[in-house]
Formats: sequence, C-alpha cells, structure tokens
Amino acid sequence: MDRRAALRLLAAGAAAGTIPNELAALGRTLHERLGHGMRVLDPHQDATIIALTDTILPATDTPGAKAARVNEFIDLLLAEWVEADDRTTFLTGLAGVDTRAHEMFGKDFVDGTPRDQATLLTALDDEAARWKEMPGDKRGPEPFYRRLKWVTLFGYFTSQVGAEQEEHYLIIPGRYDPCAPIPTSKRPE
Amino acid sequence: MPKVYDAIVVGSGMTGGWAAKELSEAGLATLVLEAGRMVTLSDYVEHVPPWQVRFRGLDDHRTRSATQPIQKECYACDEWSSKFFVNDHENPYTTPEDKPFLFLRGRQVGGRSIMWGRQVYRWSDLDFEANLRDGIAIDWPIRYKDIEPWYDHVERFIGISGEKLGLPQLPDGQFLKPMDLNCGEVVVRDAVAKHWPGERVVTIGRCAILTEDHLGRAACHYCGYCERGCVTRSYFNSINATLPVAQATGKMTLRPHSVVHSLIYDNKRNRVAGVRVIDGVTKHAIEFRARVVFLCASTLESARILLNSKTREFPAGLANSSGELGHNLMDHIMGGGANGKINAPADRNDFGRRPNGIYVPRFRNLSGGPKSKFLRGYGFQGGAGREGWGRGSDLPGFGADWKHALRDPGQWGFGFYGFGECLPNHDNYVEIDPHTVDAWGIPALRINCAYSENEKALMQDASIAAAEMLAAAGAWDISPYVELNPPGKAIHEMGTARMGRDPKTSVLNAHNQAHDIPNLFVTDGACMASSANQNPSITYMALTARACAHAVDLMKRREI
Repeated sequence: MDRRAALRLLAAGAAAGTIPNELAALGRTLHERLGHGMRVLDPHQDATIIALTDTILPATDTPGAKAARVNEFIDLLLAEWVEADDRTTFLTGLAGVDTRAHEMFGKDFVDGTPRDQATLLTALDDEAARWKEMPGDKRGPEPFYRRLKWVTLFGYFTSQVGAEQEEHYLIIPGRYDPCAPIPTSKRPE
Repeated sequence: MPKVYDAIVVGSGMTGGWAAKELSEAGLATLVLEAGRMVTLSDYVEHVPPWQVRFRGLDDHRTRSATQPIQKECYACDEWSSKFFVNDHENPYTTPEDKPFLFLRGRQVGGRSIMWGRQVYRWSDLDFEANLRDGIAIDWPIRYKDIEPWYDHVERFIGISGEKLGLPQLPDGQFLKPMDLNCGEVVVRDAVAKHWPGERVVTIGRCAILTEDHLGRAACHYCGYCERGCVTRSYFNSINATLPVAQATGKMTLRPHSVVHSLIYDNKRNRVAGVRVIDGVTKHAIEFRARVVFLCASTLESARILLNSKTREFPAGLANSSGELGHNLMDHIMGGGANGKINAPADRNDFGRRPNGIYVPRFRNLSGGPKSKFLRGYGFQGGAGREGWGRGSDLPGFGADWKHALRDPGQWGFGFYGFGECLPNHDNYVEIDPHTVDAWGIPALRINCAYSENEKALMQDASIAAAEMLAAAGAWDISPYVELNPPGKAIHEMGTARMGRDPKTSVLNAHNQAHDIPNLFVTDGACMASSANQNPSITYMALTARACAHAVDLMKRREI
C-alpha cells in the first residue's frame, strides 16, 4: 500500500473515531494550562531555562528550543516526573549557572550578552565532556549541564516543532528503503 | 434448559482467535470467553506521536510502578501500550524468593496477540525428535509431516513475510515477499556467509507483517510500532484477522469480561460439561455449557484453570491423572549476544521504521554436525542501525553548528541477541497458591521455575558466537554480554500440559485432546513437550487449527 492509500484509510478511520481524539485533546488541554504559567519554575528560573535551552538548540533555518517550548516540558518533568531530591538537585544546578555567570561576567545568565552566555556554556560543555571521560568510581555526580543538555535534546526532538521541522519525522513513512542516500553534510530543507 | 453451545473457547488471543475461526467456520455455535475488556481498532495508538502523550514516551513511571511493577519489565508496556497489559494487583501470582519469574500478560480481546513480537519460525524434526534423541522428558507424539500442512494453512491466512533458505532446521513457509535487510545488515550478512559458508546465515526476520495487501488487509506502512496496534491491520493479531472471520460466520458469540474460574465436570459421561465464569464487572458467577471445550487461555492460565478444577475423580486437577499438569514449564532463555560498531555506507541510511530485524537460524548441534558441550541450540535476532539525535548528549558542543551536525545520522552499529532452547524439567512447575486469590476471588498460581546450567551455557556460547560474527564483519568496540533474565521474560512460556503418547506421562494426546477427558482440548503453549529455540506462536496456531479439525471430525462422528 502506498502512503496515499494509507492516509486515505487513516482519514476514513479518523471519521469513524479510530484516531484517539481524546489523546489529542489531552495534549491541547495540557498545552493551554501550561501556557498560563509554570508549576515549578519561577519566572527567573523559567527565563534562565529558556535562555540556556535556546542557546543549546537555537533557531536556525528551523525553530529552536524556545519555539518548541522545551521549558514547559522541563517544568512538567519537574512537577510530575522526577523524584523530589532530583528536583532539588536540578534547581540547585540551575542556580549554580547564575553563580558561575556572576563570577564570569558579573550578571545573571539571562542578563549576559549572547557572547557571555556562549562563553559560559562552552566552559560547562567542556566540564561535562571531561566528566564523561572520567572513570565511574572517580567522578562525582553528573553535572547539571549534562542533564540539561539531554533533556533539551529530548524535549526538542519529541516536540511537534522539533520532530516535524528539524528531524522531518514522519508518523507514516509509507515505505521502507533499506539503503537510502543521505547528503554528505547538512540535509537540505 | 440453558443454551448448550457446540463449543466453548476460553481465550481470544493468538490461539483462541484461531479456535474461534476454525470452529465457527465449521458451523459450530461457538462461545468465546475472554477475561478482559473489548478491544477494537479505536484502541490502537500507533500513530499517536510522542508530543501527544504526557511524558513523550518517558512513561508515567509512578503509575506504572504502582499498578504494573511486573508488567513494566516488558519493553512494550510503555506510555502507549501499557493499557494492553494487566494490573498486577488484580492479577497476583507468587514465586519462591530465589526463583523469580516474570508473568507478562494481556487480558483483553486479542490477548497478547496485540503486543506480540510477530516473529514466525517453523519447527523441524530436529526439534520434534530432540527429546527422543537426547533421552530427555518424553517424545513428541507428532513429527514435522503431521504439522506441515497446518503451518501452510495458518501461514496462508496470516500472511508471513520472509526469505526462503532451504534449511532443514528451519523449514521455509508460505511467504510473502521478504522485507529488506538494510545496508548495514547486508555488510554483516555477507561477512558471515563468507566465514561460515553452509553453517551460519543472516536473513531478514520472518514475520507476521504484510509486505503486500493480503486477504483484505493492507500492506505495512512502516510506522514502526506494531505493539501499539495497527489500523491498517497489517500485522497479524486476532482482532485484525481471525476474530472478524469468526464473527462473519454468524456462529460466534464473543463474551468479554468473562473470567473463567474452572471447568464443570460430568463424571457420569466423563465429559467436560461447561465452564464456571466470574463476570469481570459484576463478579457474579455464571455457567456456560458446551459439547466441547477448548482451552486457549495461555500456558499458565490454562494450567491454572485445570488445577482449579478439582473433582473427586481428579483430586490433583482436571485431566491430571498423569500428575504432569502444571509441570515442565519452559520459556526461552534470552540475552546472550554482542554489539559492535560496523563499517557500512556512510552516505546511506534506511528510511521508514521497519518493524522487524535480522534472524540467524540455529547452527549448533545440527543433525550430522559437530556436537557442542551443551544440548540443543539458539538463534539470534537483532539488526543494524545508525545513531540519531540521542547521541547529541555526548557530542561536544552546542548551538547552530552542533544542531546541524546532528542532522547527519551517526555511527552504524550492529547487535545480535540470542534466544536459546529451554529443556523440559519436571521440577519447573506451577501449583495453586493456597493463600492468594485474584481480584475475582480465583486462586492464583505459585510459579516455581529456574534455568539450568544447559540454558546458561547456551547464552555464554551465544555471546561468543555473536562477537565472532561481528569480528568477521570487521566490527570494532565489540561488547559481548550475557544478561541474567529471569524465566518468563521472553514471554514464550510453555509446557504445563504437555502432549505425548502415553497417558501416564502426558496430559494431551497427539491432537491436543486430554487423554483423560475426550471433549477437552488445550491448544495454547501449555501443550508443548519441548521448547526448541524458535519463537513459538506459529506452532501454537498450527496445532490449534489441527486440533480443531480433529475435534470437528470427532463431533461429526458423534464420538464426542
């Protein structure tokens, strides 16, 4: 069956209620609720998360972490998913970014110039890479930045914006090509 | 007088669906009793993307740990498909502390056929003769020639995609065109063929997923998440395929929320007269009557029903004059394998999510070949793929260039994952736990099962053989491993009411008919006298269809 036929069949299914509309509705409700404010992150923490995640995954020819609302997903995980001590660890790590920002350029992270912010993130990225290289019994707890980098990636690529516009994720590929050519460098739009 | 059905089928999953289809097509008024709820195509969630589930696939782990602490051990019990697995508090079982067993199950119309792995491999006489050859347990009462036409029969209906290989240990079937190996898998296939000609073969998995439109069901569209359902009915499960055919005959009555407590025995006629049911919703007791009863409730549930059906004549459980009921429980030991990085075309990747992998048929202890230090053998599943955006966590950098670097796929990798044969052992058994009942007041199972040294030796050898094959393919960073999975984890449990020739040592005869009670058939995995190493569902289905034909024949001749 080709993709068009599959889509036709799916459209017919949707009319009969076979696509779980309730799940889509749940997503919309969640979205609206979160739009009114964060449940764990205070406005400053939220602004810091937005600045950090959007520096890690900025808007380029596709939207970045901010447009993908990665901050809202992080707030949801902090509110409902992580254990209490992990939440504390994460928020302490987040506050630590401002401490480093003050040491480095005398301001909160969000008030730094893009250059200030990139300099700090470069340092954090190097530290995370060094931590990864250390033997497991020698290194301390996972740096906040490494955890943030993972959740930024995950939150972005599992968002509709990240999946559809950046990854070109297709819910229904419609065919299997076992050995498809890819461009040697950046994929074109 | 209450209505007397021609047949009652207990269970609506893999084998229950087949019994429902075959019996109702033969014109029998067939009542299908399913313990769980109705499931229809509207329950399917395979096209719900991550951004439409609350935790994007990270799962609601608090709820899962609270209600499904055992079921969550199955990869498919995730944020989408956990609804197809039971609540562990409603469905308890016990084990000795030193013998963990994972009882992973789905109670709903369609049973576990909704979430199964869809791999389909025939057995051969290497398997049916194994117990006799090794002097272990009892001989199978059938051989390949007895089941071959029934493999044909079920495969033609199901639609199996696969590659014909002409191997004696893994007979070819009625195949639709095979899915393709991706270009990483081709590299490993070619290297293995070169290093072990005539011995080891890497082929595409034989699976119950359509590569062509088939009997009104559409070809696969490669969305990749079969265990969440399939609105195009492209993979086989009972609600996609067998139950609709049974329904269309007008002869089937499907009753969900019907938890079978036990069977009703008529000692004057030495027949099963019907079944006792606890209504899943009202919890009221009800009885249904029939001329013949098929137990297709799963290996452990069918054994439990019979063990809970004690009578004066059968104090150790119905149809258990042999004392073998509940014994000889097997699963497939799994988890010996290896991973590595491979050199495959850097400018290529696969497109689409193929819900299938590679298969390496058994190559140890074949007829006429060298003998290993262990009995029997194993096969591998696995496949090749490239890293995606997830590798970004440890890819140094951030920002625009880093984001764009993640647009190219990462390193090619390959994994082999072994599934080994489990020997039948009388000491691996289930019994009724006198202190535990389920949410419907039905006594629960106590499962006593552990792997033996032979099974562990298989997985050790599998990890070495897997690493050898990767090395032959020029792989690097090769990691051989042996996981310590408890029995049950492969969800291939079988053997608790084995077939055999002798009523003194087996529960069922060569047609899945109870030696003790002629109108009682057990056609799920309980019937198996050995486990082979191939995924078992197709064999259960073929045996079910064969048993149905036999039962219909006996009923026509008024013998039952």
